[in-house]
Amino acid sequence: MADAVRAGARAAPAGRWSPTRLLQAREAGVFFALLSLCLFLAVATDGFLTSTNLLNVGRQVSLLGIMAVGMTFVLISGEVDLSVGSIYAFSGLATGMLIIAGWALGPALAAGLLTGAGIGFLNGLLSTYGRLPSLIATLGMLSMVRGAALLLTNGQPVTVNARNGADADVLAAFSFMGQGYVFGIVPMQLIFFLGIAALGWFVLSFTTFGFRVFAVGGSAKAARVSGISVYAVKIWAFVLMGVLAALAGILSLAFLPSGQAGRTGLGLELDVIAATIVGGASLSGGEGTILGTILGVLIIGVMRNGLVLMGVSPFVQELMIGLVIIIAVGIDKWSTRRTA
Amino acid sequence: MRLKHLFVAAALAVLPLSAAAQSKLADFPLADRIKAKVDAGEKLTIYVSYHDVSNEFAPFMKAGVERAAGEGNVNAQFVGPVGADADAQISEIETLMGQMDGLAISSVSTDALAPVINRVLEAGIPVVTFNTDNPDSKRLAFAGQDLVQSGREAGKLMADTLGGKGKVMITTIDAAAQWSIDRETGAREALKAVPGIEVINTLNTGTDPQEIYAAIENAMLANPDVTGVLSLECCSTPAAGTWVERNNAQDRVKVVGFDLLDETVRLVGSGHIQATIDQAPEQQGFEAVNLLTRFVTGEPIENVDTGVKVYTEDNIAEIAKN
Repeated sequence: MADAVRAGARAAPAGRWSPTRLLQAREAGVFFALLSLCLFLAVATDGFLTSTNLLNVGRQVSLLGIMAVGMTFVLISGEVDLSVGSIYAFSGLATGMLIIAGWALGPALAAGLLTGAGIGFLNGLLSTYGRLPSLIATLGMLSMVRGAALLLTNGQPVTVNARNGADADVLAAFSFMGQGYVFGIVPMQLIFFLGIAALGWFVLSFTTFGFRVFAVGGSAKAARVSGISVYAVKIWAFVLMGVLAALAGILSLAFLPSGQAGRTGLGLELDVIAATIVGGASLSGGEGTILGTILGVLIIGVMRNGLVLMGVSPFVQELMIGLVIIIAVGIDKWSTRRTA
Repeated sequence: MRLKHLFVAAALAVLPLSAAAQSKLADFPLADRIKAKVDAGEKLTIYVSYHDVSNEFAPFMKAGVERAAGEGNVNAQFVGPVGADADAQISEIETLMGQMDGLAISSVSTDALAPVINRVLEAGIPVVTFNTDNPDSKRLAFAGQDLVQSGREAGKLMADTLGGKGKVMITTIDAAAQWSIDRETGAREALKAVPGIEVINTLNTGTDPQEIYAAIENAMLANPDVTGVLSLECCSTPAAGTWVERNNAQDRVKVVGFDLLDETVRLVGSGHIQATIDQAPEQQGFEAVNLLTRFVTGEPIENVDTGVKVYTEDNIAEIAKN
């Protein structure tokens, strides 16, 4: 059965490593794009190649990266999720409000992640049993969840601090999740990102669920014939996405203790999708890898960082970021040999 | 990102607000249905259309609107688009036009809203602007902060804080928005007057909190000799203060900004932000309705400057937590 499932997938999950294989891998194009970008910035600026800056970039891309891991699953399964920026805001702010209300950290985090899972589940239901294209279903949810976040907070900023009622110990632990450093230099957010990415890579490459995600995205019909519950797999992909968007939102509030439902995570869905696509995932499903997504996230992060370091005008920055997305995907599509 | 137009703005402010002309009911062709209501002593229904009801100032504006409605004995409805969406604001006003006895509006975009404001006026419904003026329209009066002036105040505060010498970076969440351009104009003007101060490229941070912080972090690394950060709005102000706090930079980097978000208040108290300028949103909401209720009862009205109030470590304690 695993063979049948593999046959349904257009891209074989990565897993075996060797130098030549690495060069031919579908991530090679995007890897070289990132490498050239880094080399250029190392020469063109003083500040880029310093450990402080590189760790800053690592932290700055972490939340985007965590969400992009989830988006990789959703895109490979042949769907898309536009509601992630709203989930990021809703779940983060909801968790913050619970902490302010005096909840202990564990229950508050669990509740926040559950809201993400719940919204993801709803996205999944609408996109499968509800027979709506996920583009439409999650576009609706983007607006509904943002509205719910505004209602929940009454449009007021949520600031997690002792003065607003957070318990000192809870606050300390919560702040560490977002602001802490391991060994004094590695940001906690980056640790979360790397952990999630490793987990995502493992699940996608080595578990039955991972095979099935590729299978339903490659060909839903073939997957169904081989006995896979296509709907269940897609719903789980949305749930995973919801949980990761919630986690990113919670970490965001842990890093900067204040958020506002009208601004937090606004437009973030497009960054997440852009990073995942730059990393080689296909909007039509069946293609994508976690490694590629990580590289895509890094390209976007390095680009943002580099343009500021070079002192480029803010309006030119917008233009350049769009250009890099197109070039990075272009390099991948035009130069990388496809495995059948 | 439409929300970037957090408070898309105002006026040319070439003239001080107080120099503007008066508007009188006697000169205004008030609609018969409104006239009848006033004569019969019926409660008037006033709509207050704010350019983005989902931003952090909306709750304060709304509170001011409700206070004025209570005092003026009118029904006041606080409406407007979620996210600064000009089309949505126009449609809503068109829909409500038949039932409004007065309109106070803060425009998403001056150009887009001016024609609809003029149409409402032509229908005999009085219109005033608040928070963000619409000088292209024929509105009767404006209640709000003179944005260029508030930028000037911020520039002066920055120069004073630095003792007249240093390198300043201006930050804004939307460099292209009119309100930002106005405040930046004022700030640069004030800073230019001080020979010891150099102003570098303005930093456009974006609106999401993480984006804002990351942009400041990158810019401070790229410009390690910056000694002053001047934020033009609510939201990059606490981010700049947080950066100073986390990098222990309070001795070499001073911050001046706007508004009184929780984190801003805390960081002013802890000495990581040297000064912040409040724009009294509750007062703006109040004046919006108050101007209209005064106008229909025959009182002449003119522009109201809701002013700037500066908070530093010395007086920040006045901001009690509500």
